[in-house]
Amino acid sequence: MTDTLTLDSAEASRAADGATAEPAREASSIEMQGLHKRFGRDTVALAGVDLTIEAGEFFTLLGPSGCGKTTLLRILAGLEEADDGRLSIGGRDVTEVPPHKRSVNTVFQSYALFPHLSVRENLAFGLKMLGIAPREREARVARIAEFIQLGDLVDRRVDQLSGGQRQRIALARALVNEPDVLLLDEPLSALDAGLRSQLQVELLRVQKRLGMTFVFVTHDQDEAMVMSDRIAVLNGGVIQQVGPPREVYEHPANAFVARFMGHANLYPVSARDGDRLTTPLGVLSAEGAGQGELLLIRPETLDLLPGDQPGENRLPATVGERLYRGSHAEYRLEVGESTLQATVNNRGRRLPEVGDRVTVTVAPEDLVTLSE
Amino acid sequence: MRKRTLKRGLTGFWWFTLAFLYLPLAVVVLFSFNASNSAASFTGFSWRWYHQLMGNEQILSAFANSMVLAIVSSVIALGIGCLIGYGMYRHRHRKLGWLIVLIYLPIVLPDIVFGISEMAFFVQVHRLTGLFQPGLGTMIIAHVTFQIPFVALIVYSRFVGLDPTLFEAAKDLYATPAKRVIHFMLPTIKPALISAFFLSFTLSVDDFVISFFTAGPESATLPIYIWGAIKKGVSPEINAIATLMIGAVAIAAIISLMFSRRRQA
Amino acid sequence: MSYAGVTPSARSRAMVRESRHLLFTVAPGATWIVIFLVLPSAYLMGVAFMTNGPYGLPEMPLSLASFERLAGFGFLGWSPGNLYTLLRSLWQTLVSTGLVVLVAYPIAYYISTCREKWRPIMLLLVVVPSWTNQVIRTFGWMNLLAPGTPLSGLAEGLGLIPPNMGLYPSNFAVTLGLVYNFLPFMVLPLYAAFEKLDTAQVEAAQDLYASPVRAFWHAVFPQTLPGLLAGIVLVAIPAFGMYVIPELLGGGKGMMLGNLVANQFSGGANWPLGAAGAILMLIATFVGLFAMRRIGKRLGGGEEVVI
Repeated sequence: MTDTLTLDSAEASRAADGATAEPAREASSIEMQGLHKRFGRDTVALAGVDLTIEAGEFFTLLGPSGCGKTTLLRILAGLEEADDGRLSIGGRDVTEVPPHKRSVNTVFQSYALFPHLSVRENLAFGLKMLGIAPREREARVARIAEFIQLGDLVDRRVDQLSGGQRQRIALARALVNEPDVLLLDEPLSALDAGLRSQLQVELLRVQKRLGMTFVFVTHDQDEAMVMSDRIAVLNGGVIQQVGPPREVYEHPANAFVARFMGHANLYPVSARDGDRLTTPLGVLSAEGAGQGELLLIRPETLDLLPGDQPGENRLPATVGERLYRGSHAEYRLEVGESTLQATVNNRGRRLPEVGDRVTVTVAPEDLVTLSE
Repeated sequence: MRKRTLKRGLTGFWWFTLAFLYLPLAVVVLFSFNASNSAASFTGFSWRWYHQLMGNEQILSAFANSMVLAIVSSVIALGIGCLIGYGMYRHRHRKLGWLIVLIYLPIVLPDIVFGISEMAFFVQVHRLTGLFQPGLGTMIIAHVTFQIPFVALIVYSRFVGLDPTLFEAAKDLYATPAKRVIHFMLPTIKPALISAFFLSFTLSVDDFVISFFTAGPESATLPIYIWGAIKKGVSPEINAIATLMIGAVAIAAIISLMFSRRRQA
Repeated sequence: MSYAGVTPSARSRAMVRESRHLLFTVAPGATWIVIFLVLPSAYLMGVAFMTNGPYGLPEMPLSLASFERLAGFGFLGWSPGNLYTLLRSLWQTLVSTGLVVLVAYPIAYYISTCREKWRPIMLLLVVVPSWTNQVIRTFGWMNLLAPGTPLSGLAEGLGLIPPNMGLYPSNFAVTLGLVYNFLPFMVLPLYAAFEKLDTAQVEAAQDLYASPVRAFWHAVFPQTLPGLLAGIVLVAIPAFGMYVIPELLGGGKGMMLGNLVANQFSGGANWPLGAAGAILMLIATFVGLFAMRRIGKRLGGGEEVVI
């Protein structure tokens, strides 16, 4: 028994006996308007969130802890009521609908499997509460168990399951109800790195296979980029940017997003003459970098040449620090009074040492400007 | 070397203490089978005190009173205590200091103060209104009062030990408030309810002082009957009832041991 | 901030709902305890300040006569009877609590050193006698200590008691009964403390050349102090108010405060005097609890005393 959701073999076996595993329901879109939420007197969790999530999308709410992403998810689930604003799912206004009347299910961070029930009873819990007849309940539990490849797990007790197995049961327990929207609250954060990346891929495949709307919460920007169709980056209860992973990473809306999505070299632009930007590093020429007052240089867009090789977009630098990471090396470079982070892939050639004089080069089209 | 001597000394002390703990009970059991009515020397084996017991109306009615008192009070306390326990859990983030004081009051109050307060109160209210005639009713009220805190604390600690997201999972999985109680909360806290019931029952059967002061003339329980018999002059019959009660405790002990074993397994 | 304009309706609705829920769950039990315990205790306290009527029932006017009688001032001048009873209660509480600590400490330690599978059984063996009725347990001691029994014979042979007297009724029998009764209450919290004892501290002490006595004093004893304090609360408070044991094992000269109080509410009664005694007991209880809390907090072992 492995901890993977091997859909390919599930498909194969389904083709063999002609059963259909996917819910027939159509995916639903989500509309949020002006959502506010405050805890206690002065903790603001959401300060006016307007957001539309398309039907069938794998949508991720990303941000540091306390940014409001979990609160937003809980409002979608109905576990928290917004102080103000409207929420509709699949065109229906559900702002004041309690959780047990919403066709929305959640995969909880702690999995929240009922300890007094067997795995099978856990899977059937939602259907039982919906008043679905025992015969159909069993059929649907059996179908989902096959779809998620649970095998003999359904006959175990909850306390006999490993973390990865619990995660899959929690997923199956939510999916078996065929909800309009599936909410996932950091479902992989309790797992170790190997299992985690395996399950990331499998979760994505389940979503694509079912075509269901998934709303995924995480604080891990790598995970968000791997999984999502679109990402909303939150900070301080405000949405900073919404867009596909590449757009959010490569064209961040502001300094917060730029830093949160990965390592970022940011410099104020003090003067601008057409495409020529004056920065503390020197004058750099950019192409289509936008009109922002901050220059962003991602470390991996930089290249290092040995010695002094002056020219356009070439900066003389000294290696201040090097972290060797096998596949690549991370550098802290001193350029005049400024420092610059650079990531260089290890392609077998000589990696500059600490103290070496080098020349940093960057392509004009890799430069982006953004506002504070 | 020194360590081993210490361990051996402790083992000896352990057995000595056990003897100290069980000697008084063993004497009661032994003399319940005594052929003569001497309390000092064992003259031979006999069942006669047990036979006498079976014909004693007062003892049988005292036994019945004890059972009614224990069962009725435990059931009431379970209901009320369970609600408080859940309320304390659900609202644990609020400032509920007054409630904690109220809950601990019956536990910390000395039995004798507890008993005479209730007695004085019942007597005066009875004089003024005719309510609370001393008897099983007043005893049940008094017992429920000291059982509530134990039930509440057991239920509360069970809830605290649960993953709080379980409550949300139940909501998320379409359980209405009523179904949440029936299909999630009650089954989840069932072990706590069972142990709370048995603890309440044991506390009730064990209690003497509070029962003594709230009882009426017709509502003597077994401990009250035994007390009266001891005060009047020791009869070997008491040994026989006492032995039966010790036997009940021994059975309870074995059951609880088996439960804890199974939980470990 | 845009928040100022937000209507608070959703929030206030939720708050009303939560408050109603709190009321629904907590009110029945809280009301029960208030009516059947807080009110009666308050009434009893009031009684202590009233005058004793002809049938032992309290009457107006208010007076402090009951407290004066507790201190020994009666109609017939000063007599120390009640005062002796008070002092005896304190003395019995101190002695029996001390003895319980002396027995329970090694027992709790011993259980914690035994193999894990035996420990629950050993604890159960210590606790089970306390599950039987207090009256029965005390009756067992009456049988053991009566004149003509082997224990009394032994005491006679050693010249500790006059012939044919038996070991009860006596103050000694009361102390013994109290120790017997409260031993499990001390073993349980002490065992809990020993079980989570950080042995690394003991090893560190030994590593730093501490003698066994010093290692115990600096590394073991402080760690068991919270358990010890909890045990003392569980033993001393109910011991001070004990009624059954002195009544059965003590006789007239072994009376404690509990008996003095109880006697005022049965035949030949004096409710105000009994109520004044009950107030003393309550004061002792709350002073004891408060002192333990303070000491416990200072030790940093902020452990709640849970029974």
